[in-house]
Amino acid sequence: MAYYFGSKRSRWTPYLLLLPGIFFYVLIALGPSIATSVYSFTNATGLKGAQIDWIGLDNYKEFLFMGQAAKDNFAALGRTLIFCFFVTTIQFGLGLLVAVIINQNLKGRNIFRTLYFMPVILGAVIQGLIWSLFLFPLGGPMARILELFGAQSEFLGGQPAEAFAWVIVIQIWANMGTTMIIFLSGLQTIGAEMYEAARIDGASSWQVFANVTWPLLTPSVNTNLTLNIIGSLQAWQLFLVLLGYRNGTQVLGYLIYAVGFGQTSGSVTSSFRQGYAAAASIILFLLVLVIGLGVNYILKRREERIMG
Amino acid sequence: MFKKMYSMLALLMVLSMILSACASTPAPSTGSDTPEDLTLKVLVHQNPPMVAFMEEFNKKFEEKYPYITVDMSVVNANDLSTVTQTRLTANDVDVVDMFGFANAAQPYMSQVDAPNWQQLIDAGLLMDLSDQPFVKNYDEAAIQDAGTYNGKVYEINLGRVSYSGIYYNKDLFTANNVKVPTTWSELVTACETFKSIDIPCMTAGGKDGWPIFVGAYGLIGSIYPDQEALVEGLWNGTIKWNDAKSLEMWEKMQVYARDMMEEGASGIGGDAAPGRFASGAVAMFPGGTWYGPAIEEAQPSFEWGYIPFPGSDNADDNKYLFGKYDQGWAVAANTPNKDAAMLYLAEFSDPENYQAFVDAVGFIPTQPTAQLNTAIGKEVAPYLENFRVGYEQYWIAPKGAGQFANPWASYFKPFGTDDDPKVLADKVQADLQSGLDAVK
Repeated sequence: MAYYFGSKRSRWTPYLLLLPGIFFYVLIALGPSIATSVYSFTNATGLKGAQIDWIGLDNYKEFLFMGQAAKDNFAALGRTLIFCFFVTTIQFGLGLLVAVIINQNLKGRNIFRTLYFMPVILGAVIQGLIWSLFLFPLGGPMARILELFGAQSEFLGGQPAEAFAWVIVIQIWANMGTTMIIFLSGLQTIGAEMYEAARIDGASSWQVFANVTWPLLTPSVNTNLTLNIIGSLQAWQLFLVLLGYRNGTQVLGYLIYAVGFGQTSGSVTSSFRQGYAAAASIILFLLVLVIGLGVNYILKRREERIMG
Repeated sequence: MFKKMYSMLALLMVLSMILSACASTPAPSTGSDTPEDLTLKVLVHQNPPMVAFMEEFNKKFEEKYPYITVDMSVVNANDLSTVTQTRLTANDVDVVDMFGFANAAQPYMSQVDAPNWQQLIDAGLLMDLSDQPFVKNYDEAAIQDAGTYNGKVYEINLGRVSYSGIYYNKDLFTANNVKVPTTWSELVTACETFKSIDIPCMTAGGKDGWPIFVGAYGLIGSIYPDQEALVEGLWNGTIKWNDAKSLEMWEKMQVYARDMMEEGASGIGGDAAPGRFASGAVAMFPGGTWYGPAIEEAQPSFEWGYIPFPGSDNADDNKYLFGKYDQGWAVAANTPNKDAAMLYLAEFSDPENYQAFVDAVGFIPTQPTAQLNTAIGKEVAPYLENFRVGYEQYWIAPKGAGQFANPWASYFKPFGTDDDPKVLADKVQADLQSGLDAVK
């Protein structure tokens, strides 16, 4: 294959062009990540001027083994996985379904596209506010609907399991637009002649979907699954906005924020523990890495099988 | 093509040079006596009457010192420590609102981290205010208890608040012949009476979480009046959250959460709760004295009173008000606007301005010359000699303690998952013990 950038000094052109990107990647992503892993072995508070001592594996030992708090951390880890499972599967399925429907030659499909995508651009605070009002237990819209059936609920303020389930719903609502758009762009790369050929061969709608659409959507499927899994494992903002620090609802991402910024003790002042929060971040990173690599391996093999 | 592009670029450069020259022309010097214009960045937490007062105060301050512009940021109380941490570290704030110093590590506590205010001082982020003349405007006890560390003053505290009382609707009590409760049994009876005529007994801002359990702190106080001793007892094991005395507390907390609090209280925001009470929809509202001005503002003609939470069946046990030192001012150690910050605090500490402040926010004053003029001030005046700093201001959980190691009524249904006081008491003690064992 010919090398497009000539010879001698010109050979360096692509690397020079990559430099700004690499610089920002190191500055914004890689640098802080390395710093976080270093901080995880210290008692850093996150305050400028504060003394920082090297404490070895103490933060990790505390997070994983120290008293009931360690068991609570594992419970948060479990909730993180539950959250990831439900968000990923439902958001993936709904996003695909909506994309397939919107991809049809329907009247006003641009309006629906906009409507479904709109929550994505709102941001966690606005999303939280909208749902807090919608789920207001004293006469909010959802409470009125339940009233019609003689039921009532405290929604986000009620039982931790119910509050947690509502955050799953809201997370899906907030991000389904992105999944839909990725699928939609994938659907639009599939040529009309493929569908035409399948129809001529007498394929039913389901057969067309299963044997034409689904295999050819493989790159979009891989992208969406990876984004959904990583996004839901790292979720924390909606937990902060909708629930705050409530027993039985924390996921690992929110726990890290609460510990790092001294928000774990209800109304009293607690300490800034960024070293400990950094250790928890590294544990979350390892979790994301293991799941991400595993999923990526499976998806890659599937892609090779289908696309050749 | 290139020639055209170069011409365009040259033209753009000339234009931008002219524009930047215009923009960056310094204001003509007005002589060394006139200070340069500056912006003083102030951070406060959300408390509607206090924020309203501060906006007015800032306007007057800017009129008096026209070269100073006050840029005040307001954050939710839950986020105050986070924003203080990040903005002080970024040197992006001059004056910060901090709650009174509390939760200091005690000799009997092992392996606990310093509270965040102490971390800020140790990191050199707060200014030593010891020599400032305005410090003398405040009573010595408040300066010592709520703003001094290692012999130096880092905060001037602006007032005490009680959080262990209950607001009650005088009209509803009178109209329904309900006696204002002074004992637990009377409180239970009052709630049953109101519920029997479809009036919810109590409300609170459950959406913010803490108002539910803080509303029941008076209950802990009536059972453990010496709360500093309670904390020491919990640490050294002489008091347990599942002993007989504590079990009585849990049983009452369950009644409070399950039977007294109105349905849907968990959806009401902390700021909205005073309005809900002032609307006359509920009979009582357990909460802090800081809510008084908001209730008055929501419904000026509304008749209400404030009593200590009657957690015991012995009325003498219910005479205490528990609370804390609330808001105070601290200054960033590295502020480039030190003089302006000192002017700001001095102006605020002027007795006339301070009186206006406590009148607006309903704090129990920390300036000895200030009067209790507010409606809430008059309500708490009879109990002031029985004012005590509350449990949570002393408490630091041992590392490794579980998330249930607190005396919180919000663990009970409908706010939490528990509905058996004995089971919960054992769980809370086990969570605490786990931490105590881990740091031995």
